[in-house]
Amino acid sequence: MTMLRVRDMTVRFGGIVALDGVSLDLNRGEILGLIGPNGAGKTTLFNCISGVIAPDKGTIFFEGHSLVYAPPHVRARFGIARTFQNLQLWGSMTVAENLVVPMDALGRRNTFSDALHLPFSSYAERASMERARAILHVLDLDRYAGTLAGDLPAGIQRRVEIARALAMRPRLLLLDEPAAGLDAQETARLAELLHAVRERFHVSMLLVDHDMSLVMRVCDYVYVLDFGKLLARGQPAAIRSDPKVIAAYLGEESKKLEGEVATVVPTRPQQAPLLEVKQLAAGYGGLEVVRDIDLAVRPGEVVACIGANGAGKTTTLRAISGMIHPRRGRVMFGGRDVTGTSAERIAQLGLIHIPEGRGLFPNLSVEDTLRLVSNTAGHDVNITPAFELFPKLRQRRRQLVGTLSGGEQQMVALGRAILSEPRLVMIDEMSQGLAPTVVRQLFDIIRVFREQGIAVLLVEQFVESALDVADRAYVFEHGSIRLSGPAVELRADRKLVAGSYLGTAVDATAVAAANGNGNGHHVDPALMEIVSVRVPAKVKRALEQRAEVEGRPTGAVAIELLEKVDHQ
Amino acid sequence: MTSRLIFRVLMALVAFAVLARIPVGFDVGFKFDAGLAVIWAFALLSLVLLTGYVGQISLCQATFAGIGAYTAGMMSATFHVDYIVAVAAGVAAAFVLGLLVGLPALRLHGITLAIVTLGIALVFDRYVFQDHAFEWLTGGTGGWRVGQTSMFGLQMDSSKHLMGAYVVLLALFCVVALLMVNLHESGAGRRFRAIRDSELAAATMGVNLTRYKLLAFGMSAAIAGMGGAFYPLVAGSVSPQPFWLFTSLQFAAIAVLMGVRYVPAAALGGAFMAFVPDVLTRYGHGTLFGRPYEISYDWFQIAVGVLLIVQLITLPDGVWGDLRQRVLHMRSAVGGLGGRKVKVA
Ligand SMILES: Nc1ncnc2c1ncn2[C@@H]1O[C@H](COP(=O)(O)OP(=O)(O)OP(=O)(O)O)[C@@H](O)[C@H]1O
Ligand SMILES: [Mg+2]
Repeated sequence: MTMLRVRDMTVRFGGIVALDGVSLDLNRGEILGLIGPNGAGKTTLFNCISGVIAPDKGTIFFEGHSLVYAPPHVRARFGIARTFQNLQLWGSMTVAENLVVPMDALGRRNTFSDALHLPFSSYAERASMERARAILHVLDLDRYAGTLAGDLPAGIQRRVEIARALAMRPRLLLLDEPAAGLDAQETARLAELLHAVRERFHVSMLLVDHDMSLVMRVCDYVYVLDFGKLLARGQPAAIRSDPKVIAAYLGEESKKLEGEVATVVPTRPQQAPLLEVKQLAAGYGGLEVVRDIDLAVRPGEVVACIGANGAGKTTTLRAISGMIHPRRGRVMFGGRDVTGTSAERIAQLGLIHIPEGRGLFPNLSVEDTLRLVSNTAGHDVNITPAFELFPKLRQRRRQLVGTLSGGEQQMVALGRAILSEPRLVMIDEMSQGLAPTVVRQLFDIIRVFREQGIAVLLVEQFVESALDVADRAYVFEHGSIRLSGPAVELRADRKLVAGSYLGTAVDATAVAAANGNGNGHHVDPALMEIVSVRVPAKVKRALEQRAEVEGRPTGAVAIELLEKVDHQ
Repeated sequence: MTSRLIFRVLMALVAFAVLARIPVGFDVGFKFDAGLAVIWAFALLSLVLLTGYVGQISLCQATFAGIGAYTAGMMSATFHVDYIVAVAAGVAAAFVLGLLVGLPALRLHGITLAIVTLGIALVFDRYVFQDHAFEWLTGGTGGWRVGQTSMFGLQMDSSKHLMGAYVVLLALFCVVALLMVNLHESGAGRRFRAIRDSELAAATMGVNLTRYKLLAFGMSAAIAGMGGAFYPLVAGSVSPQPFWLFTSLQFAAIAVLMGVRYVPAAALGGAFMAFVPDVLTRYGHGTLFGRPYEISYDWFQIAVGVLLIVQLITLPDGVWGDLRQRVLHMRSAVGGLGGRKVKVA
């Protein structure tokens, strides 16, 4: 049963061929992986399927319908939902509202009855809101339901993107790098969630990600793109050992000789710290996100910050680089007190911050972005080193940064930072969106940095690699530093690190929801919660009885009920 | 939800009751200003919908108001219909024009859309409102005179019954404003805001962009046209001058100044636009330290410009947006008084 049939898809942007005759088949109920180097055309293929761009050539059939002339919202009605690599939540709405919009848009609603708050509209409204809460609950996002989506950290926003796509009740889900910025445990949970969603809601998926642990674990079949062409396809295991794929994308894994690199610890502890943070506290609005942060980085030292999403790493970096004002505490850089100094001034002193959103200007070309460095530096900067580091950028030098692929944008941000000859680089989620080969290359670059005496403060999802390259590490938890020490020790004490992650990240419900419901009689706690919230006890009992009679899980019956309510 | 609705209805009633009384006892000039204030407030409200909610740019809102005014004037002067019918015709005409202007907005964004709507305003300003070919609509150089007319069957002569026109206008404004506030929190409003926040996401999540953008332009034009349609009644006649290009630009500037996302800001802006110039011309001359001085209308324009710059730097969310922030802040500081708690882990 082919659900999605893509034939000969070709997309050109000026001289760039982003997709070159790609064909792909997705069967119903299948999770298909789509991998490939940065700029291979994965997001472009998503854009074609969801109707955001029109291909130059090629056809798409979904459940027998040709999609050539269908605008995006019609495809949404067919049941195609997607998430975005560059987050596209509606920032001024709450998380719950973000989920309600697609539900309403796909239902039959009327602008005037909405404005008048007619009973019909209010009723549908309440039903949608309930369903939104249920979905948020399953994804363990309920405590963010009332928060403005734009205020959330990127990692949470990524999960809300998935929740919003699920709210559309999709039949095909297109996931563009859902694991970007997630650590190993969160990724494992995501994998379980995706499996559960497939089992329970019968959703087929097309998954793009650079985290091979996720792709290998979840996907039934994998397509590999390179330069817009299909490079290989096959079972995950076969793909993993395919020499073509290794050469173009995965890279050699044999490099990883445990402990070897780590024994090289050439830092001079007696040297005065380059960056010293004392008792730092910072936050947004009425909220204090981090407190009592004590942290030091010596010249030429590589320091990693690890900790679950929302533990306060990003906020700490922001407070150090002057993007936000510290509430309390002091930041010393190069022997100078820079607390509360403007971000530009701090950058001029040689402290470069690559923020989570990369901080790029979408309407500047790659070359102009890099040339801008001369402005801060105060003298003409030669931009070739950036191109040597990322040869890919040389071909793209005239392209606008906003149209680059996600990974290419990350390359620009990193290249720009390196050009400004920093004394300390702070990188938030360094490997986010980068292909495995590039990530490996980056860790090598960091080693080069250390040799040149450039210090690095690093926030990184790949804890192992980060600890491999780092001299020391800080473990964040709940907005303060829980643990710190030499990376070698922390790595050996694996349990300690893992425990700290679990501290913030564990959630029994989502795991239970993911595990449960395979057999007929296991009652899914999350779904029972939904039922108990919205239905009176009598109905609930009836529901349970019916489930028993039909020999189906109560959850399935409950969902059917929810759907009926929603359609009325 | 319902309690909030009741609260809003009460607020609108109170606002209506207070505002309806204010011009009583003042001279005709002020009564005219009061009517004008509501007319301009309609135009600013149309921008709250179009720009504040949906994120689209338009520099031809005065044109929509003008179409409303001319259509109503024509209906009243040539067909002698009840004035409320003339208003309905004006609104309908503006709605249709809004749909047409919305067509290019399906493809254009930001600055290009601004330029296109500017072009439309220019065409109407220089050509349609002034050319012989359109005399059937504009009534020629003299425009339409709406001396004697009736509304809802009641005598409504423009000079004598200014207050009557004002009250009807105000009541309509309160109703439309209430609908706009409701719309913001309703499903349709959310779809509009989704287009503003991320068009890309809105389209792929099932929002029909064509339909909602056209609807936004149509509704916005209709709201501007509703205000405009009362202009002949309040002023007694209609001429191209109030609806020229510059007024459109002024709408955009004042909407931003007052806070383009907020409905009450429209009322504030309308009053500002109608009263300040008049007060300036009335009392803006005299002698100071023995020297004669004169503050003319030009000074108003300059003041708006300067205020706009100051506001964009200090109050990016507009005057009303800032006020609202402060009140909310105070409320949450006091605590418990309905200040919504935001939980963030
Ligand atoms: N609007 C555009 N104009 C010009 N070039 C574009 C445009 N959009 C994408 N490209 C180019 O097309 C190529 C494919 O981009 P795409 O976003 O599909 O890559 P990707 O496979 O998703 O990469 P990544 O893993 O980095 O996200 C890239 O080289 C990109 O620079
Ligand atoms: Mg991509």
